[in-house]
Amino acid sequence: MSGTNVTPTLVDGMAMRTAAPVARRLRGLSDRSIAWLFILPTMLLLLAINIFPLIWAIRLSFTGFMANLPAPAAFIGIDNYVDILTDEDLWANFQITAHFVFWTIALQVLIGLGLALLINQKFRGHSFWTTVILLPMMLSPAVVGNFWTLLFQPQIGPFNYLIGFFTGIAPSSFTMIGSVALAPWTVVLVNTWMWTPYVMLICLAGLRSIPDYIYEAAEVDRASPLRQFWSITLPMVLPFLMLAVLFQAIQSFVMFDMVNLLTSGGPGSTTELVSITLKRAAFEKWETGYASALAVILFVTIFGAANVYVRALNWVKQQ
Amino acid sequence: MTGRPDMKPLGWTRWLRRGPWENGAMSVIGLGILMLTQPFSLDLYTYSFVTILGGTLGFVVVSHFPQ
Amino acid sequence: MSVVPSPRPFSESSPLTRRIAAVVVVFYAVFTILPLAWIGATAFKSQADAIAYPPKVFFTPTLEGFVDLFTVQTHQSRDFIAKLPPPQTWYEKIARDRDMVIAGPSRVVERFLNSLIIGFGSTILATFLGTLAAYGFSRFRVPLADDLLFFILSTRMMPPIAVAVPIYMMYRWLGLYDTRIGMILLYTAVNVSLAVWLLKGFIDEIPREYEEAALVDGYTRLQAFRKVVLPQAVTGIAATAIFCLIFSWNEYAFNLLLTSSDAQTMPPFIPFIIGEGGQNWPAVAAATTLFLLPIVIFTIALRKHLLRGITFGAVRK
Repeated sequence: MSGTNVTPTLVDGMAMRTAAPVARRLRGLSDRSIAWLFILPTMLLLLAINIFPLIWAIRLSFTGFMANLPAPAAFIGIDNYVDILTDEDLWANFQITAHFVFWTIALQVLIGLGLALLINQKFRGHSFWTTVILLPMMLSPAVVGNFWTLLFQPQIGPFNYLIGFFTGIAPSSFTMIGSVALAPWTVVLVNTWMWTPYVMLICLAGLRSIPDYIYEAAEVDRASPLRQFWSITLPMVLPFLMLAVLFQAIQSFVMFDMVNLLTSGGPGSTTELVSITLKRAAFEKWETGYASALAVILFVTIFGAANVYVRALNWVKQQ
Repeated sequence: MTGRPDMKPLGWTRWLRRGPWENGAMSVIGLGILMLTQPFSLDLYTYSFVTILGGTLGFVVVSHFPQ
Repeated sequence: MSVVPSPRPFSESSPLTRRIAAVVVVFYAVFTILPLAWIGATAFKSQADAIAYPPKVFFTPTLEGFVDLFTVQTHQSRDFIAKLPPPQTWYEKIARDRDMVIAGPSRVVERFLNSLIIGFGSTILATFLGTLAAYGFSRFRVPLADDLLFFILSTRMMPPIAVAVPIYMMYRWLGLYDTRIGMILLYTAVNVSLAVWLLKGFIDEIPREYEEAALVDGYTRLQAFRKVVLPQAVTGIAATAIFCLIFSWNEYAFNLLLTSSDAQTMPPFIPFIIGEGGQNWPAVAAATTLFLLPIVIFTIALRKHLLRGITFGAVRK
């Protein structure tokens, strides 16, 4: 932030040489007005599309409003919040979400970091294969999630067939989407498949930011490769890894697209993440006030997590 | 950024340094999220939102303290 | 070529390690690409092949899936079809071979068109607004700049499903529900946060000296921005635009909840491509393939900037 502006003094210097009002007209708009002119449209758009609805949602969250009924919103205080925060079913949904977040993150870190270490060996063709591995994370989670339902079909899907081929289990004896025991792992699997490349790419950047001379010094000291990994590689990659983990944690915490099309929360409510509950409350049961309260709870949680994420972002940036 | 690094903070400003406060607020947010998602106690779940809200608002305030 | 092997640099590992790494990575890459390859293959299967058990890897390719995707057909008896004039086009022939008669084009074209219009519309708007704001934040001392930038980023982190609840109300009230304009505005708002952060990174990298020289030469600020900064930032702007386009193209939740037909894009539409007697998988696969292909191409074009894009410009390699 320091030394942000050298130019205004320069412009002022130019202006001083001519009479001030004439100069202003010659220079066109002042820097100050240009800055506001450039930033204002974006801020106005965000105010209209994000802040205004947010305030509306906060207001609605204190009412028993239902969007499909003509009745006006009746103020009911914090009843919605009390309902949500004492509801054991919703509590269970938060736990399901946490299970989903924890395991996808764990698998993504394990596989992503592993792949990054391997790709960093710079074998021939590594950049081509990196691009191939990156593909899933750019695709539409909804469209891909929809297609995974075919891949997971017990009879005709290739996934069960492959598992059966390698393990000898009959391909039609289990169903990844329909079974209460397997479905939570199915969503973890597909999410890991999609987002491991994300963690890998950021870890790779971390690995490449480690200067060679540190390893050279370690080699002079006869540090074993394992020791080098624990005392050099891991600490240097850690800020990057944290960045990836925080972002993925936020993303999976509010994951909707893929899960909605893959299992839509089922069977029963075994994969009902909080965002699915929210969608049902808002757009199927039309309990708008209640849904707004749940949305506000998610907003605040994500806003808090986003603060931590931006800290990590600045931390990495300064490195 | 503000003030020379060799300058010792005077009196009460020493207590208003950003770093430790920010870490504290982030811990409160983290604690709140754990409370929200833990499977052990419904009471913890009930008070999780207040905790997260407190941590987040605290963070917004604290992050404007001097460095 | 010298016979004596040169000492390897420290950053390079032994040939054996590298070979093992290559094998593992290629193995993973093949497995990760398998589902996508299966989608592509299914698009060219007949309906019977698509749901065959065991799953068919080898099959005779057909365009049935694509024909089913783009047309509405009715089932007719052999006698009726025999009485019809002979098929005029190749796609009519494909349909007739399965005792079907083409009744007209399907709605998929409209959905594709919506995806394109909403995608490009919001991309252009977001990139335009983002470039201006990024320049403002990069070059001028804006009061509370850090807070504003954080606010901008935090809007992107917000879960669409939670945002959709109040936006649904607002759009109903304003008459923007199920309109392309409404979707364009919404996607612009989501994308502009990414655009500002990414472009600020790109513009920060352009040395200020260029503009200062231009200002000394008598350019106004605006002229300097247009004639000096913009040409320098063109790669960054292009990369940002592609990121915005990919987001709008892929977006599902907002479109599912805020449109019903007129402004519906492909992602909420694809799951509802249903044939006679259950899901018509070749048609779904054909739609998915056509939908994903541009993204695959863009990803390859963008691979040098991917890292920047996914970290909001914080990591630049």
